[in-house]
Amino acid sequence: MKSKPQPLNELELYRKMLVIRIVEERLAKSHQRGLIHGACHTYVGQEAIATGVCAHLRSEDAIFSTHRGHGHALAKGLEPGSLIAELYGRETGCSRGRGGSMHLFAPEIGMLGTSGIVGPCILQAAGAGYSFKLMKTDNVGVAFFGDGAANNGAFHEGLNMASIWNLPVLFVCENNQFATEVPFASVAGNPSVAARGAAYGMHSVELDGNDVLAVEAAAREAVQRARSGGGPTLLECKTYRTRPHAEGMGDFTYRTKDDVEQWKTRCPIKRLREHLLTGKKATAAQLESIEQEVHDLTEVAHLFAENSPYPSAESATSHVYAATSLVAARDVPAPTASERELSFMKATLEALSEEMARNPKIFVLGEGIGARGGNFATTNGLFALYGPERLRDTPICERGFVGLAGGAAMSGTRPVVDFMFADFVLDAAGEIINQIAKIQYMSSGRLEMPVLLRGCIGIGHAAATHHSGSYYAMYANFPGLRVVVPSSPRDAKGLLKTALTCGDPVLFLEHRELMATKGPVPEGEYYIDFGQAAVVRQGSDVTVVALALMVHKTLAASELLEVDGISVELIDPRTVAPLDIETILKSVKKTGRLLIVDEAFGPFGIGAEIAAQLADIGFDELDAPIRRLNGKASPTPYSPTLEAAVVPSIDLIAQTIRDLYAE
Amino acid sequence: MPIHITLPRLGWSMEEGIFLEWLKKSGDYVKDGEPLFTLESDKAAQEVESTDSGILHIPSYGAAPGAKVKVGAVLGYLLASGELPPDEQTSSPPLPSSPAPVPHHLPLGEGAAADTGSLKHKLQSDTPASPRARRAAKATGVDLAALQPTGKGGRIRECDVLAASLELGGTGMKWRTTPTSPLRRTIAERMEHSKRNTVPVTITTRCDATGMVSLRTQLKAAAEFRVPSFIDIITKLAAGALKSHPHLSGRWADGAIQLPEAIHIGVAVDTELGLMVPVLRDVAGLALSQVSQKSQELFERARRGGLKATEMRDACFTITNLGGLGVEAFTPVINYPETAILGVGAIVREAVSLEDGTLVSRQQLTLSLTFDHRAIDGAPAARFLQTLRQRLEHPLVWLLNER
Repeated sequence: MKSKPQPLNELELYRKMLVIRIVEERLAKSHQRGLIHGACHTYVGQEAIATGVCAHLRSEDAIFSTHRGHGHALAKGLEPGSLIAELYGRETGCSRGRGGSMHLFAPEIGMLGTSGIVGPCILQAAGAGYSFKLMKTDNVGVAFFGDGAANNGAFHEGLNMASIWNLPVLFVCENNQFATEVPFASVAGNPSVAARGAAYGMHSVELDGNDVLAVEAAAREAVQRARSGGGPTLLECKTYRTRPHAEGMGDFTYRTKDDVEQWKTRCPIKRLREHLLTGKKATAAQLESIEQEVHDLTEVAHLFAENSPYPSAESATSHVYAATSLVAARDVPAPTASERELSFMKATLEALSEEMARNPKIFVLGEGIGARGGNFATTNGLFALYGPERLRDTPICERGFVGLAGGAAMSGTRPVVDFMFADFVLDAAGEIINQIAKIQYMSSGRLEMPVLLRGCIGIGHAAATHHSGSYYAMYANFPGLRVVVPSSPRDAKGLLKTALTCGDPVLFLEHRELMATKGPVPEGEYYIDFGQAAVVRQGSDVTVVALALMVHKTLAASELLEVDGISVELIDPRTVAPLDIETILKSVKKTGRLLIVDEAFGPFGIGAEIAAQLADIGFDELDAPIRRLNGKASPTPYSPTLEAAVVPSIDLIAQTIRDLYAE
Repeated sequence: MPIHITLPRLGWSMEEGIFLEWLKKSGDYVKDGEPLFTLESDKAAQEVESTDSGILHIPSYGAAPGAKVKVGAVLGYLLASGELPPDEQTSSPPLPSSPAPVPHHLPLGEGAAADTGSLKHKLQSDTPASPRARRAAKATGVDLAALQPTGKGGRIRECDVLAASLELGGTGMKWRTTPTSPLRRTIAERMEHSKRNTVPVTITTRCDATGMVSLRTQLKAAAEFRVPSFIDIITKLAAGALKSHPHLSGRWADGAIQLPEAIHIGVAVDTELGLMVPVLRDVAGLALSQVSQKSQELFERARRGGLKATEMRDACFTITNLGGLGVEAFTPVINYPETAILGVGAIVREAVSLEDGTLVSRQQLTLSLTFDHRAIDGAPAARFLQTLRQRLEHPLVWLLNER
């Protein structure tokens, strides 16, 4: 059975707040002494909120927090030594020295992370709520965030999703009245955060965040509601931080010393102390003994941290990818003359359908992917089998549901985000790049992020510029992401199945002009490993590397060239990240010539990367300069004549190969 | 213990600051939280609060107002009542918190001198040539300077070097790759797999096919239905032989032999796409006419590329035929994971000496059997071949009774 929270123990609340305060003061001192290498945002003055809320949480409940997260981590149960060591950059820190003050992770106790970016914690808590509901537990997700986040899109998108899906989530706004150093009143059209909750049909409460008993009572009700299926709650806790935004920063350019002194008299710890003494709930001697004990344990924690080793430099890049990222995929059955003809779309639907049947933790998010079956029939027929929880139609809030998917992955489910067009998901770039791609690393591999992000790319049929981008090179630039770009139904199925069993976040980008094309697909289940290029056509004069639609165009060009006596070897990397440069090198050893044909823009693209890598390891193999043929570097135009002019044609590919052959 | 007052880091990138002035005098009692000194960083001047309490001691070597001081350098001490300051004679002067920067560039000299070797190399290869051509020149001993370049802008290409090398009597052969079909690659893979995973031995025997030939002649004369081919007849008769020598139809797996429930026989067919092996199911349970009908249907679809995957699975024995192309004996490759494969050669008319010494003209056929020696020894394999030969020599005897 799960552990039950303790009944209210005011002395324990006192002790917890004191631990946060004394540890923060110790950290402030250490910051001055140079023991802390980066930023340090303390929680001094706000201790009642984390303490009152976490009093009702179990280790299975998940909390998500901000750059000011030390207090949340300690209240959730993080050992002070583990926190201090993280800020000192040591191996024993809770993120093993990979995070520091703003990126604290302790999944073992349900501390699923703090973030240096304002907003994502709200979406991630909603994601945890989604996981908990899907897995039929009564755990809750909690987001702690400041007043600054209440003006951020994540707040609005996250609250709306939590409300419409009735998710077990607490949104705890710590309104300390300054968004960094900007007074909240000056940037809020409606200065009541709690009132905004009502706009999303959510229980909302405004309370004195410096009164730990008030916070404790409100949180008790909210947690109870979430656990019993009553849905989310927004708590607006009014408070004040009495130290600067970050240690070492001047404090009196935007507020006065008098204001700070005034708020210090409302210190939540002092208040509880007086309450305990006047109510005769504790003696002064009892409280002093707690204070002494907390001072001592903080000193021990500091010494532990200071004497801990730094992580070894060799480990700097470990945990970028999940330990289970490359599953031992089974071999593809040998091709036979009798493979079925399936469309690209049907092949991926088969993969998704097989994996959803096997793994109940897989769910799909997207616009129109429920009963409608997806804009491109990507989920056709699955809604009838699995219902709305696993095939979830979303509001049009790309950042919101991608952020939610990240939180769901962190809390144990496997979300598939079906975003229709790759252009749309750029609104969620921060969630993908700053959160989903980095969390495995920041948590030192203790969290895996199996998020599948799929959608279509590619120019054609006058879709114009907001429905035609490719973007794979951009994603491949970020460590932590896998980027898959299949060109055939057979590869699409095998690669999608690997993506659905891989521990890493995967961008699965499908060229829209290929979705209806048919090709042979083996019977039964099979997986294709990432990082294994396919030799699509064998040849001996020129090596051409191409992806997606360009594979087909190059194949057609190769047939034309065969008549001229030019023999083309065509390689489809299939995954951009990881990139199989070895297969390309093997081919160039034979041909001495390399052309990269890419529909996407040339500058800083995949062609540049392949050329540079190949020149590094295969310079002596080259009998001619490496060439690139790219789509024109312009937004995609609408008119057919203009559109055709920006995409490499079969004739242009053939001519470019001829030229390279003559170099 | 005296508490060290050090220069704090005020921003992420701050490495040093300008110490402006003490806000307390040496000997003053300083309380935790009280302003202690002012400091100018790259952002602005600000007061720094004490994080501890004690009696301030400002040492004689302490930072002068306006001095640039490294982050972490000791500015002074907070002492307990009666505590002595650290001995100024032996205490170390303020130290920068970060180590002295290491110069990125080593002085020139040694490195520059060592470079003269490559200069000579550069002079030798003035002619523009691709890296691949240079490597080929080195390997073949061709002098780049003497070549007629064919590349753009007068660049020497590998082919120029190889052509020159050929003239000099060297080897400069370049191979040309022809694309192959996925089926070709599958066949290659399976052949390699068989070679790696079996211990093949091939034995051959001659048998008298006169009976088979005359049987077909008689059936042709009737001509009401499709006349079974030699392969149909051999396939049907082989099924019976396999029943009495079951190990030939088994599979060697994990040190044991798996025997099939029914005799499914694969028959190799040469098609434009490549070699295919459709499987005739339960041959022992079929009449010859049914074998013939089924095989015709399968072969036709195989030639059109229309076989289903299931129609090429589960064989326990394969028959392959090169007789039509005049080959008499050969060494077929086992269709792994089967144990044996029968190669059927050409039927040739030969003079045969009977026991009484008279010469007669007979139709002769050579059978080649390759078997996996892991699963079966030579003698039992030969006994199977003997049984099969007897059956082929008197086909009617067996065909009459066997269904």
